Amino acid sequence: MFFNLLQIQMPVGALTSIIHRVTGIFLALSIPFSIYVLNLSLQGPQGYAQVIAWFNQSSFRVAAIILIWALTHHLLAGVRHLLSDVDVGSQLPAARRSAWIVNLGSVVVALLATGVFL
Amino acid sequence: MRRTVTGLRAWLLQRISAIYMLLFIIFFLTHFLVESPDSYQAWHGWMMSSGVSIATLIFFAALMLHVWVGVRDVLMDYIHPLALRIFALTLLGIGLVAITAWVMRILLMEHS
Amino acid sequence: MKLSIFRFNPEQDEKPYMQDYEIELETTDQMLLDVIVRLKVQDDTLTFRRSCREGVCGSDAMNINGRNGLACITPVRALKEPIKLRPLPSFPVIRDLVVDMTQFFKQYHSINPYLINNEPAPERERLQSPEDREKLNGLYECILCGCCTSQCPSSWWNPDKFVGPAGLLQAYRFIIDSRDQATQERLDDLNDPYRLFRCRTIMNCTEVCPKGLAPSRAIEKIRLMMIKESL
Repeated sequence: MFFNLLQIQMPVGALTSIIHRVTGIFLALSIPFSIYVLNLSLQGPQGYAQVIAWFNQSSFRVAAIILIWALTHHLLAGVRHLLSDVDVGSQLPAARRSAWIVNLGSVVVALLATGVFL
Repeated sequence: MRRTVTGLRAWLLQRISAIYMLLFIIFFLTHFLVESPDSYQAWHGWMMSSGVSIATLIFFAALMLHVWVGVRDVLMDYIHPLALRIFALTLLGIGLVAITAWVMRILLMEHS
Repeated sequence: MKLSIFRFNPEQDEKPYMQDYEIELETTDQMLLDVIVRLKVQDDTLTFRRSCREGVCGSDAMNINGRNGLACITPVRALKEPIKLRPLPSFPVIRDLVVDMTQFFKQYHSINPYLINNEPAPERERLQSPEDREKLNGLYECILCGCCTSQCPSSWWNPDKFVGPAGLLQAYRFIIDSRDQATQERLDDLNDPYRLFRCRTIMNCTEVCPKGLAPSRAIEKIRLMMIKESL
């Protein structure tokens, strides 16, 4: 059997799909951490101040930017799928274009977030 | 549909939960852009107002269903030995139930 | 012209290897198949399937520079050198570029690829309005070459349970045929976690189809029909 993923061409739609999957797993793994932060921020003025202090740390901000990129990509790719389900942009040229928009759009949003945060 | 285990149900659940979460995220972000809470009182008051806390609770319920369908899809693709897959799905299910309980405690009991 | 071709003879080789070939292009060499047919004159151990040489039989499906296609309708001059030829990914290799398509056809047959109509046959034929006939365009043209299914990640992971793009395109071809009476049974049969719903709309199938068909859209339309049926 010939099966070498490095030698099989991956069109942009396949790339978008695999990123959709990876970001999905990443976001799922980040849920407990996000809930922990939410809980702390609601626990009282000290907890709230602690969360604000975290947001001022650069390591925390880098993590937040990665999370924002993952969420944006997952969200945009999801909207792309929802539209495709109802036959909007499900033809190949449009689907290729929207796949590029998802991949590049999520990076643009992450860069904007970087500009705001850093 | 006659089959007991259907594919359509999971697929629909994934789509419906996605749409709700999308709307919630837009609502959440809009609030932060329009009147960003600048103090603990403002943040706590907004989050714990009955409308927002219920909407947040539904968000997490949708999130748990979405994660269940999504991660189940991933496991079905890559993990083939039945015992191992059942183990992974069980672990996932327990994790999601635990997270749900945790969120319910936060939003319904602890801080209200 | 330089080519690098996947070679494997299970009777001699322990594992596959890539063999380099060099051949002068002649003016008659238009398609990739023209070149590899002449290569076989040079080296008669080189094995591949071909028949109609005009994109109708689907025999010479192979992986060309990483992308599945039919050698007979792939213009050879447009390809990047060295042209890398490999058998269809994920299908068992019988020898060189020849793959075992048993599983592929098993999935195809599982969707009952024939009209089901229990009414007594009319004297001539079962008539269909031009509008109903129109619905079969873009579906019936499939030649079952296997390019799509072999490039589909969902088929890679679950080839035994997921019908795959080629089979699902044909399923839709019979689901929307106005003469077919088994629509409900066909939809029910596909409504399980694997047969149709492993599809993640990656669209590799539509990308590589040498006939320009769109299995991914057919799958989306089956899903929409299922929703309508269940409401």
